[in-house]
Amino acid sequence: METHYIVSMSPHLRGTLSIERMMQTVLIGLIPAAVMALYLFGIKSLIIMVLSSATAVSVETVIERLTRQPLTYKDCHAILTGLMLALILPPSVPWWIPVVGAGVAIILGKMVFGGLGNYPFNPPLVAWVVLKLSWPERMSFFIEPHTYTQALTPLMALKEDPSLFYSYAMRDLFLGTIPGALGTVCALAVLIGAAFLLYRGVIRWHIPISFLGGVALCAAILHGINPDIHPPVLFHLLSGGLLLGAFFIAPEPVTSPVTPKGMLLFGFLAGILTMIIRLWGAYPDGTFYAILIMNAATPLFNYLKPKEYGRVNRA
Amino acid sequence: MALFTKGIPFSKKDTTLSLEVIDTPLPKRVILPMKQYIGEASQPVVTQGATVTTGQLIATAPTTTSLPLHATLSGTIGDITEFMDATGTPTPCLIIEGDDTDTWAATPPNEATVLASLSPAALIERIHAAGLITNQLAPVPLATDLMPIDQPKTHLIDGQRITKKIDTLLITALDKEPFLGVNRYLAGQNNTDLADGITALKIITGASFARFVVDTHYGPYPQINELVAADEAETTTLTAVNGRRFPIGLAIPVIKAALGREVPLPYGHPRDVGVALYDIHTAIAVGHAVNTQLPQVDTLITVGGGALSTTGIVRVRIGTPIREVIDACGGFREEPAKIILGGPMTGMAHYDLDIPITKETEGLFALAHNEIQLSGDYRQCINCGRCVTVCPVNLLPGILSLYCAKDRFDMAEADGLFRCIECGCCDYVCPSRRPMVHLFRHAKRQVMES
Repeated sequence: METHYIVSMSPHLRGTLSIERMMQTVLIGLIPAAVMALYLFGIKSLIIMVLSSATAVSVETVIERLTRQPLTYKDCHAILTGLMLALILPPSVPWWIPVVGAGVAIILGKMVFGGLGNYPFNPPLVAWVVLKLSWPERMSFFIEPHTYTQALTPLMALKEDPSLFYSYAMRDLFLGTIPGALGTVCALAVLIGAAFLLYRGVIRWHIPISFLGGVALCAAILHGINPDIHPPVLFHLLSGGLLLGAFFIAPEPVTSPVTPKGMLLFGFLAGILTMIIRLWGAYPDGTFYAILIMNAATPLFNYLKPKEYGRVNRA
Repeated sequence: MALFTKGIPFSKKDTTLSLEVIDTPLPKRVILPMKQYIGEASQPVVTQGATVTTGQLIATAPTTTSLPLHATLSGTIGDITEFMDATGTPTPCLIIEGDDTDTWAATPPNEATVLASLSPAALIERIHAAGLITNQLAPVPLATDLMPIDQPKTHLIDGQRITKKIDTLLITALDKEPFLGVNRYLAGQNNTDLADGITALKIITGASFARFVVDTHYGPYPQINELVAADEAETTTLTAVNGRRFPIGLAIPVIKAALGREVPLPYGHPRDVGVALYDIHTAIAVGHAVNTQLPQVDTLITVGGGALSTTGIVRVRIGTPIREVIDACGGFREEPAKIILGGPMTGMAHYDLDIPITKETEGLFALAHNEIQLSGDYRQCINCGRCVTVCPVNLLPGILSLYCAKDRFDMAEADGLFRCIECGCCDYVCPSRRPMVHLFRHAKRQVMES
């Protein structure tokens, strides 16, 4: 009997990380935020999350079937896209918003570019922007947790009257007992998930820290200039979609730079842009817009390469 | 301790070797390729049926880039047939059917030579006559690699003429990969020829400083410490590095870690930064060659892999077929998936167990099915950046692999394709299972052939 040995190129050993494991780790990291959403906003949040994820996986599978590509639902990227989109939606949206959104995220955000690895913009954010521009009232309709009465988010309140930030306790912002999107209200849940992601090495510190640093720098300067109308740094860090954006959305591998220096500049500029939109833009929270704009510049940030090795200096 | 932060930190579990030397019997036959290095092939001077003794010259070196070949077993010459050598190229080989006696050829009278009285040219002559090669991933004859101090090498880099005098002799007690153990084993032993080898190398290269690079996880190193202490001029020093971080054992990263110098890429050589880099195995072989003027007939290799019954260090006669080495180590414990000559990260997979172990072989690994992972259907680069973190020469391997996969070899070359040292770190960490090294080698070949 002939024995056959495998002949392929070196290296003959490989590490254990795969796309599947990366996506699954992020999904686990989102569980605390999802659980808090369920607690704060009730069964409606579960419906939104399930509809969004299921639509995302189905649309992707249908498109891959129609275009005769191999099916990729096993790598968990579609379900992650669906869940991430659900977590940045307001809890009061009708059932068709997450369905349409997930469809847009997969079709416009991912598949038209050729699938995983080829898209320039963050798919959940693409869907969020399309929804926000198409149905602005429904996407700005927020409710109080537990009582479900209509209310403004802290950042929306700030747009009306900047000094209103006094009426929000840090504890509420931290635990999530404020109006807001499903997954962004509870800072504690997001931070627990982020710690898990950092521990597993799925995200690196560069983008989150520089993003938060950019916001913190602006907030500190402004608060120093006029503490009566500019909130303290912690308020800005804990409100809106900043924590979720900095730890889960901005470091998404496909749309963020690959080099350390590029990552730092990407995060920092996104932070500055977030603050500019929060202060002078038309929208209460600029996080997602800032990330999208920086996504467009990622190929430029990739030019900030590590120092070229072995360069011959012309003496 | 010198820091090296790139590359892959393998765990203690993966890299602890038993530095036990396994005894192997004399092989029944040896297969000697005419070319076991990069250069010109040797010309055989014996015919089929001739009787040879161990150490007898059986092929001469026609040009300066070739080496003489000596019989490593006593017996009868068989056919000259083509076998696949360690790099996968069919090469004509002389086969010697052993007669189990291991009769050595008549050796030259052993006049006690004072090393310091020999000129560099005479030393290089002895090294050439012994048939020694360098131990890099692309080995060349050692005599060609050494630079006589009276003839400084000048060559062009970026259009500029570079003349660099060698000031440091770097002797590494590390192996290319943390899975190999020959140099680590030798560094802990008391080797009779090491001091002479280092003296000879210093005379030839004109280096004023000598530095040892040792692995912090192994030791102690009594002989090396003694050599460092014995040098009254204090020109011999010791640097310790973390040997578990692959690829600290390769030439370019170790020079950067130990001395802080960057070898110019892509076409540089350690001498471009004034360094002569040799491992302990080579230094001992040099010492042996200049002292005894005997040719190299055996070599030390590491045998390992989950599919082998015993693992460790083996002293084999050059030309021993792989099959005999495996049998001497107790055979396979389970059916292996891959047979590798070299280390598991940089070696070459083979399918034929009848090919020989040659001078350039450093390891023999039989990897089990659960130790390997095949690329198969690899995915698109997801720009995760892990390859950028581990690349020891500061490339962006993911983006390079995209260029190579889409046949944009011009853009790959502009982005640093030829600076790649093919260590395999990027391949190891990639979550999309992209066969990076394969893509880069393909691209390099396409560019060089066009």
